[in-house]
Amino acid sequence: MSKQTIKKIVFVLTVALMLTALAGCGGGQTDVTEKDELIVATAYDAKSLDPHAVNEVAASNVMLQIYNTLVVLDENGEVVPSLAESFEQVDDVTYKFTIRKGVKFHNGDEVTVEDAVFSLQRAATSPAVANLFGDIDPDSFEIIDDTSFTFQLKGANTGFLYNLVHPGASILSKKAVEEAGDNYAMNPVGTGPFKFVDWKKGDRIELERFEDYFGEKPAFSKMTIRAIPEATNRTIELESGGVDVAYDISANDVDRIEENEDLRLNRLVDNQTQYLGFNNQKEPFNDKRVRHAIRYALDIPAIVDAAWKGVGDVAIGPMSPNINYFKADIKQYENNIEKAKELLAEAGYPDGFKTKLWTNERQERIDMATIIQSQLKEIGIEVEVEILEWGSYLEKLGNGEQEMFIIGWTGQSSDPDLALYGPLSEETLGAGANFSFFLNDRVNELLLQGRRTPDSPEREAIYHEIQDIFAEELPWIPLCHGEAVVGTQNYVKNLELTPFGFHPLYKITFGE
Amino acid sequence: MIKYIARRLLMLIPVLLGVTFIVFTMMYITPGDPARLVLGESAPEEAVEALREEMGLNDPFLVQYFNYMKNLIVHRDLGISYVTRQPVMQEIVAAFPSTLKLAGSAVLFAIILGIPIGIISAVKKYSIFDNVTMAFALIGISMPVFWLGLLLILLFSVKLKMLPSSGYASFKHMILPAVSLGAQSVAIIARMTRSSMLEVSGQDYIRTARAKGQKEGTVVLKHAFRNALIPISTSVGLQFGSLLGGAVLTETIFSIPGIGRLMVDSIKMRDFPLVQGSVLVISVAFCIVNLLVDLYYAYIDPRVKTQYK
Repeated sequence: MSKQTIKKIVFVLTVALMLTALAGCGGGQTDVTEKDELIVATAYDAKSLDPHAVNEVAASNVMLQIYNTLVVLDENGEVVPSLAESFEQVDDVTYKFTIRKGVKFHNGDEVTVEDAVFSLQRAATSPAVANLFGDIDPDSFEIIDDTSFTFQLKGANTGFLYNLVHPGASILSKKAVEEAGDNYAMNPVGTGPFKFVDWKKGDRIELERFEDYFGEKPAFSKMTIRAIPEATNRTIELESGGVDVAYDISANDVDRIEENEDLRLNRLVDNQTQYLGFNNQKEPFNDKRVRHAIRYALDIPAIVDAAWKGVGDVAIGPMSPNINYFKADIKQYENNIEKAKELLAEAGYPDGFKTKLWTNERQERIDMATIIQSQLKEIGIEVEVEILEWGSYLEKLGNGEQEMFIIGWTGQSSDPDLALYGPLSEETLGAGANFSFFLNDRVNELLLQGRRTPDSPEREAIYHEIQDIFAEELPWIPLCHGEAVVGTQNYVKNLELTPFGFHPLYKITFGE
Repeated sequence: MIKYIARRLLMLIPVLLGVTFIVFTMMYITPGDPARLVLGESAPEEAVEALREEMGLNDPFLVQYFNYMKNLIVHRDLGISYVTRQPVMQEIVAAFPSTLKLAGSAVLFAIILGIPIGIISAVKKYSIFDNVTMAFALIGISMPVFWLGLLLILLFSVKLKMLPSSGYASFKHMILPAVSLGAQSVAIIARMTRSSMLEVSGQDYIRTARAKGQKEGTVVLKHAFRNALIPISTSVGLQFGSLLGGAVLTETIFSIPGIGRLMVDSIKMRDFPLVQGSVLVISVAFCIVNLLVDLYYAYIDPRVKTQYK
């Protein structure tokens, strides 16, 4: 090759490189009237699109767009029919559903009562959604006619109808599930507003509008849900117009989006409660006075504000205010070091004690742990913070090896049963989410009663009493509730956030 | 030659047996219950126990290992992922191409930049160019990849709006990840080229070439560089092999669904079959790259060929 040729090649390559680079500078305004695709950035890719194989937010977020459930929540939080035409609770444990006629699956088949029964039976026997549907007796299903069926629960559970709103209760095509076998998770067939097109694992899921959808037709024909794990990058993609909606905006980026005229921030306090737990079976935490002393020593608003930088809300009780029968006027504790020292002395620890505080790798939790460590030092409690990897953390908590720890608990429906039963009941001691090893006969009795009692002032009184006992006993200290923080372009309208972390994206419209 | 390749491929078997056993043992003794992690904190204990039984996690260690190996050798099946319930092979096949693309472009970038820098530094030893580039090489080796990645995103995506900050679909998408991942390799290859060139240029045949009146360019490129290639190709091969093992940080920052992220996620979830599968595939890839480098020696150095019997 002569020198001349080499020079030419280098020149052409340089020009080509510059042109490619310049091509990226275009950008410009999006023409809203012609926009026909919604691109969403989420933090994680779904693990499966089989509603019974997993129970996780990223998967639910996609399932919500491709499946329907028999019932949904209306704007007042009431359970209303969706794929069902009507439903009734026949007695304590028996439910009757009548399905809508003429609804089509994405494969063109009509939804039959067999599909509905198949789906709920499959949900009832799948370990991944057992916490929501394990109460259904899988042998109790009876088909009455070609649109209605009944089934029974193993025991009365008032909150059960709320569980049916979860994507885990989606109605699947029996034929599609059986035909696909093990591959169903990658070939989901639902009745929802969008149908599944393609899935590039770890990267994106592509959906397309389902033209025969029985409900209101979505305003755009294509939806792409991308997985962008790095929070900063989700914000950058939103700023540069690469995506229309970005989930889980980090606290650090909130101001940047709020200050940007082209973008909007949407926020909603969710159903999660982050808390500082104690092992109630271990000394010195088995003494209520010690737990109270620690509560008095903490300035929780300051802790939450420093760690979460304004995202989320300070928790005043064991469950989120979104949940039914939330009681606001329970006993509150102020930040009072003197009182804390007194209580500690009364309990026999005038000079404090040494203990360990565990948390997993989540940065905000580590920050909270560090601040708690320094605040407890003031009353003489020497805290050693230990950071554990999630898998080992869960195992050790289940075994009861902990002294103090920070973790979160999410109520997966608006019913208080799911919010309180896990972290407070005797049945779930240890591995089943009662990581505080809290045992209180009265609370346990009330939790069981609450589960059985139909919605009424009586049920309200039960859950109010539980919250009062909780505030007095303080088996763990509520710190804060999470918040869904979703950034959108200004032209994205009608984004409805839910407190569950997955949102009905199909309702979005575009406008000025 | 063919005999040599066959022998090398056969040697893969004990390597892979060792790798599976070590990984299996490590995963087994690590605390954390896969069934609990799959189902989450809210799942009732009975459901977790049922899943544990179904996954065969209640079997003794050796039974589990034997079952896994039997499945692998007899059915040539890497198993089913605990988390996604999809075949492990399918998960890996989905992730490997983007890793290959990333590692390939990073190494290409490193070669295109690293070798010329190394050659020039060696030829112009102790010049300003040499000092400056070797100082940069030191910085390159010491700079954490996530830091460089974020800086590049900040400059080229946020400020200049020239390049996309995530994804891997096109050439344009690959520029930033390849540069940030390749930066260390540039430094390593440049330093290796320089020292290797310096070593060769003291040899008698170089002096002879010069004495013959060869042009300086020919001396450097044909006589010196060709002989300096062996250590350079070893280091390129090693770089490529280890990049194939996945570059978790780069993959995370630029949202590339590669095998590094797949493996780290599966370790976090104690997804034993997926961890095993990805480690196996990475080990095979690493061994094959090494073999190719060895074969390449024979191509660049005829003396080596005689050893392959």
